[in-house]
Amino acid sequence: MRGQKRQWRAKTAENLKSWLIMLPGLILMTFFVWEPLFESIRMSLYKTRNVELVRFIGLDNFISVVSKDDFMQALMNTFSYTFWSLLLGFALPVLLAMLIGETRRGKGFFRTAVYLPNMLPGLAVIILWSAFFSGEKSGVFNILLGQFGVPAQTFLTHADWVIPIIIVIATWKGAGATALIYMAGMASVSPELYEAAAIDGATVWHRIIHILLPSIRKLAGTLLILQIIAVFQIMYEPMVLTKGGPDNASLSLMQLMWQYAFGGSMNYGKASAVAVIVTLILLVMTAIYSYFNRKESDWD
Amino acid sequence: MNKLVKTVSLFLALCLLLSTVPLAVAESDGVIDADLTCTLTLGNWPPDTAAQAEKDLFESYKTTMAKQYPNVTLVPDYYSYSLSNYVPMAKAGTAPSIFQPPFTDPQLLISQHLVGDVTDALEQFGVLDKFSPSYVEMLADENGRIYGLPRDGYVLGMHINLALFREAGLVDADGLPIYPKTLQELAEYGQIIKEKTGKAGLVFPASETYGGWLFTNIAWNFGCVGESALEYQDEDGRWVCNFTSPECIAAMEYMRDLKWKYDILNVDATTTDWASAHTLLGTGEAAMNFAADDSVDQPTSNKGLPVEDFALIPFPAGDAGRYALAGGTCYMFAPNITADQGVALMAYLKVIGKLPFLDDQIISGMRADYAAKRDRGAPVIPAISAWTDEEYNAAKQAIVDEYCNVDMRLYADFFDSISEGTITLKSEEPVFAQQLYRELTGVIQRVITREGSDIEKALRKAQESFQEYLDDEINDY
Amino acid sequence: MKSVQRTGVIRDYDMHSPSVRIGYGVILLLCVLMVILAVFPLVWVMLAGFKDLKEFVSSTSIFPRSFSPQPFATTWNQLGIAKNYLNSLLFVAGSVVCALIFNGLLGYGIGILKPKGHKIVKRLILLSLLMPTTISIVPLFMNIQNLGLGNSFVPLWLSYGANAMYVILFVQFFESLPRSIIEASRIDGCSQLQTFFRIVLPLSKPICTVIAIFAVNAAWSDFLLPYLVLRGGNLQTVMVRLFVFSTEQTVNADTMMRSVVFSMIPPIILFFIFQKQLTENAVSVGIKG
Repeated sequence: MRGQKRQWRAKTAENLKSWLIMLPGLILMTFFVWEPLFESIRMSLYKTRNVELVRFIGLDNFISVVSKDDFMQALMNTFSYTFWSLLLGFALPVLLAMLIGETRRGKGFFRTAVYLPNMLPGLAVIILWSAFFSGEKSGVFNILLGQFGVPAQTFLTHADWVIPIIIVIATWKGAGATALIYMAGMASVSPELYEAAAIDGATVWHRIIHILLPSIRKLAGTLLILQIIAVFQIMYEPMVLTKGGPDNASLSLMQLMWQYAFGGSMNYGKASAVAVIVTLILLVMTAIYSYFNRKESDWD
Repeated sequence: MNKLVKTVSLFLALCLLLSTVPLAVAESDGVIDADLTCTLTLGNWPPDTAAQAEKDLFESYKTTMAKQYPNVTLVPDYYSYSLSNYVPMAKAGTAPSIFQPPFTDPQLLISQHLVGDVTDALEQFGVLDKFSPSYVEMLADENGRIYGLPRDGYVLGMHINLALFREAGLVDADGLPIYPKTLQELAEYGQIIKEKTGKAGLVFPASETYGGWLFTNIAWNFGCVGESALEYQDEDGRWVCNFTSPECIAAMEYMRDLKWKYDILNVDATTTDWASAHTLLGTGEAAMNFAADDSVDQPTSNKGLPVEDFALIPFPAGDAGRYALAGGTCYMFAPNITADQGVALMAYLKVIGKLPFLDDQIISGMRADYAAKRDRGAPVIPAISAWTDEEYNAAKQAIVDEYCNVDMRLYADFFDSISEGTITLKSEEPVFAQQLYRELTGVIQRVITREGSDIEKALRKAQESFQEYLDDEINDY
Repeated sequence: MKSVQRTGVIRDYDMHSPSVRIGYGVILLLCVLMVILAVFPLVWVMLAGFKDLKEFVSSTSIFPRSFSPQPFATTWNQLGIAKNYLNSLLFVAGSVVCALIFNGLLGYGIGILKPKGHKIVKRLILLSLLMPTTISIVPLFMNIQNLGLGNSFVPLWLSYGANAMYVILFVQFFESLPRSIIEASRIDGCSQLQTFFRIVLPLSKPICTVIAIFAVNAAWSDFLLPYLVLRGGNLQTVMVRLFVFSTEQTVNADTMMRSVVFSMIPPIILFFIFQKQLTENAVSVGIKG
């Protein structure tokens, strides 16, 4: 009895000490991540004047935000970003990984080269690419087109082009790093498996379809969700490249949030309402993610 | 000969004026008030990265202040104002004692009680009644209490790349530009320039708030004033916006025609901002740019256009009006300043030459400034004064003339139109101008990127959106 | 012999077939093309940095007229970028320290100590991994202001001590450590903290390197919260400065491109020093940096 009690006490002390070690990290997580998330929800329910909560107004901020054209536009745009991101940005890393995986010499060089853009600051990348898509004759693409006798084009004034263009830039930056993750996944296939298949007479194409691609199916599922979540964060890219234009054609939800808060109107309540809506959408994504994740990892 | 006479007479005039403006000369070194004790944080201090000369200048201001007000402590606290970072600071009580917002923001800041009142301090310095009335309107509340001082003002006109005008044959026998006097002519001349030179006739920065900012001036000249104003207060005191008046629609149709009928705009208008507009004019990629007298150094010394290839002309008139937008930057003060701090702040502004007093230090500062401008190839032209003090204004003009490095005929019509009143100065739309600009920029972007878009529908949508904004922010508050 | 080692779908045996050989040629060609695509924009921006404004705006050539380094020197001096580099350095250094200590300790708690109730924390952290930090930037910024921490590196440093991804990477790594070593040290009478510093940390060099690299890169590139917190003050970092340039248009387009070059140099250097860790270790962790 007594021994048990002592043991229990020791265990409690142990637990307490462990929690104490975790405490600084927990305080920071609370301050920087968790509390602001709850604060967002609270603020979204209040009429705000600057940083003060003026009065509780229930869902008025949500109604007001959602009923505006720019919200619907931003929502559609965000789905459009997702669509283009999946179209351009999802398959490309797989392809990259496959191509590099097949090289017999210089693999390290290729890996290094395609990973490089991922290291560059996102903001610098956007500014750099803005010069590529300039409609002036000195724009880099127009210079290149000029070499083939094609007259100068404008890129960023086309409402239908701006989102794909931003995705192209994001893909340029991120595809190489994602490809390396796929390569790691693909490397898990034992080379003997290919050898055996080859001896059995399976063509290269068959081996890709039946051995290589299935090996990365789960990984692809996870990365797909992560990619969608990343796309929902798009904000400074249009802010810097097109300022959301032309006529809100590239305005993203997060950018709309920033505009409400810091774009001159200082409406933190409405900004929070947008943030909460994005959070809700992401929660759905998260549910899907954990569904995929549960199957393959030993978490919990 | 003529030049000699001019120089001599100028010199004499200057001596005369300086002797008649003794106002503060005598006091600049002595102690003025040893009892005034307080601390000021100076948000208008230059950043560490500023030119050494500028930092030295501010250090010398600090020295002067230390002599005149030995118990006023100055704490340099460089701060680049933006609405987004200012408000939380003001709320938390950490705003710098003095900072520099653009003229679009004072009314918003005043209505939200985020800035300090300096009326009594101005009174104490005897300059309250010399304040230019248009500025009083911008920097005071409904009770006439004053919360800010103008730092510099500007009037919108048009920058011209004279080289391109010459190339297009649009110069007279004297080499002066034959420039558009009306918005209709602007479109036509732009077309000529585009045909003859292959460069854009007009650069129009239709991004963020810039497009709407310039558009309001065009709209005024189409008659969007008075009953057709873009925003007004109805009899109940509610703010109403009106983008769907026939005048406003006509102005927007004009924007459409600039793109789709005359095709004189620069190619990337929707991503062009203020700086890139100056860049295009300054590097000879565009011939005309709606811009103000305070930014003449942008296309010239900053972007490389020689001053002899540059001219400033009045804002083109419309069928229904000849307006030019006037604005600028002002000084405002933390909401929690005390009466003593208010006085100390005015003393500080006097030392840095922002009150209508001239002393040796200010005059030598002006000279240094103009000499520097001349050296780096920026036009030295008179500034539009925020004070109605005639002596003060004349003295300043004399100094400008001394350093003038341009053919003033290239600027004459612009300045004459203001002084002779052939153009009406108008300050920005009274409430939430930035948001109004943003809405209008959206419409402009739509109109110039989609041929045949429904202008009235687009304007109606923008109007509804801005009205809701007004309701939220003022009407139903 | 080598063929056993070699990964990849195409085996040596296939290379006898002409069509596969052609296919392999195409693959190599595509790989080279990718490398060009990845590197060309960088080469271009370096070249563009040599142009003056007029040339940058008007020239229809990729190559500058002259390769004088003068424009870079002028931009560096005029904008006082050395000061911003110093600020960035301070910001990055503090961020890395915070990222390692706070996330490491939290990861140690969840991954090794596992006190009663740690699973709740683990779940919360997993969940926050999927919430972009920008989403709550408004209330976070207000909290920082209300605590009077504006215009200071402290909140920015600490924000790197609250990174869900780093915590999870630590946890994953710690869980892979052999329990026996840790238990042995506990039996030897080491306290929990002693165990962490004497046993766990020395074993964790690979993960610490990876997280340090991630944190360096993330902090260097970070500008949204720093922009709000550091406001217009003298602590502005390189990226904050670049963001201010792009939003407030205080510099010319050619100067902007040179600033872009300056902002990219440290990450590129970092990349070349640590390319092995980045392309191998970082990837094996399975999460994009």
